[in-house]
Amino acid sequence: MPGVDHCLQEAMTIPGAVGASIVDYTTGFPVATTGAAPNADHEAAAAGTADVVQAANSRSLFVSAIPHDLLEDLIITTAGGYHLLRIVQTEFDSRLVLYVWLDRVNGNLAVARRKMQRLTDELIAT
Amino acid sequence: MVPTKTAPPRELLTQVAGERQTGALVVGGHPGGAVYIFEGRVIYAESPAAPGVGELLTSSGRLAGRTWQNALDLGTSTARVGRLLVEQGHLTQGELELCVLGSTYDAAYFVLAAEHATVDFLPAATHWLGPVVHIDAAAVLREVRRRVRLLDEIHPNPLIDTAPVIPVTRAPRERVTLTAPQWELLVHADGQRTPADLAQLLGRSGYATIQELRRLAAQGLIELPGVRVPEGPDFVRLAQHRGTSVPVTRPSLKGESPSVPVIKGQTESPRPDAFADPPPGLPPPGLPPPDLPSPGLPPSGLPPPGEHNAGPGNRPRLARRKPGAKLPKEIAAAENPPVHQGTDEVLLKRIRTALRALR
Repeated sequence: MPGVDHCLQEAMTIPGAVGASIVDYTTGFPVATTGAAPNADHEAAAAGTADVVQAANSRSLFVSAIPHDLLEDLIITTAGGYHLLRIVQTEFDSRLVLYVWLDRVNGNLAVARRKMQRLTDELIAT
Repeated sequence: MVPTKTAPPRELLTQVAGERQTGALVVGGHPGGAVYIFEGRVIYAESPAAPGVGELLTSSGRLAGRTWQNALDLGTSTARVGRLLVEQGHLTQGELELCVLGSTYDAAYFVLAAEHATVDFLPAATHWLGPVVHIDAAAVLREVRRRVRLLDEIHPNPLIDTAPVIPVTRAPRERVTLTAPQWELLVHADGQRTPADLAQLLGRSGYATIQELRRLAAQGLIELPGVRVPEGPDFVRLAQHRGTSVPVTRPSLKGESPSVPVIKGQTESPRPDAFADPPPGLPPPGLPPPDLPSPGLPPSGLPPPGEHNAGPGNRPRLARRKPGAKLPKEIAAAENPPVHQGTDEVLLKRIRTALRALR
């Protein structure tokens, strides 16, 4: 049975992965982390991640009026890397997001996105 | 056992974690709670203000109440409830870990945010859930401090965290935007429920609930508990003032008037004043007639408060059935209870787990 640590280990096998974490986006707290983080600070990265998700989730045009058209991924690209955020949909109340930081040279956005989708599905398989 | 003492709970946690002890750190006060430590690492925390793993999983519908109860019955004595749920295929390991992590940090905030409280350390005590996660005590403490700060940045009024939630009668603006959790809170706030009650009712984490409430307070959509207290005496004085000008029918009105101070939490002090100037039809206040109930009590025909309806939790008692007695015929015939519903669910889940393993 894959647990949280296993999920993060798997995330690090994504080509180009530099770091990964699971972040509680109500509080901006990194529930679990592995590998590197931007500026070597997982907690600051988590706080920033939470702000981004909150902004996309509550204060923007992306919030859909259609029921259950929920936010799935957020992808931020920089000149040096890809930052992928995928919401972990649990049935119980928890607001979690899987964050993976990819190196731009080795990373492949489509592959990484597919893999992250599978990882979050396995983590919460119902 | 360390004797009960008043101390900063955070310092004691640092101390027992540093000594790599195993046991439960029980913190008194309001809301209070307990932090469970296994060889110096935090494995679980619980507090009345934060829904526990069981409440989160059952109130969201993730687990049937019966499934949860079965796991409790089987695993409590051996402290393996968490592991049982995963082994029986009700939860994935990932879900269990995330749920335990979430509720542990949630409860830790309520247990450890207090600066001073009565603290007990019970060595060797373990939690029935069993060790699912192992968290560094320093990380828990850092996060608790950060959460306190986050709340103060939103709206620095800690009274909101414990006082009953009262939505304002009129919104302060023409157009109000709410998030889904905020809407849920406002819909279910009935003026009596505290944030802890709302969190339990909605199956939301306690911290997320008070976070949203502080945001609502900052937007002016719920009443601020600090502001309501000074209003209390005004209400009471008003009632007393009216009393002097209203004629003999007053006693019945007086029977009702305590309902105003009860809301304000000042049940005792205003009442002697209310009797200071009795209407002419009443005997002097020094000699209460035997048939006139004292103002705190309901009319003499009813039992005193505390007998039945003292609080929201105490419902009037119903007649007890004898153990093993059968249901009355009309009820037994009316509903045909589904047989072995939980067992079917257990079976189906195991079959599903087995099929998945074959894939």
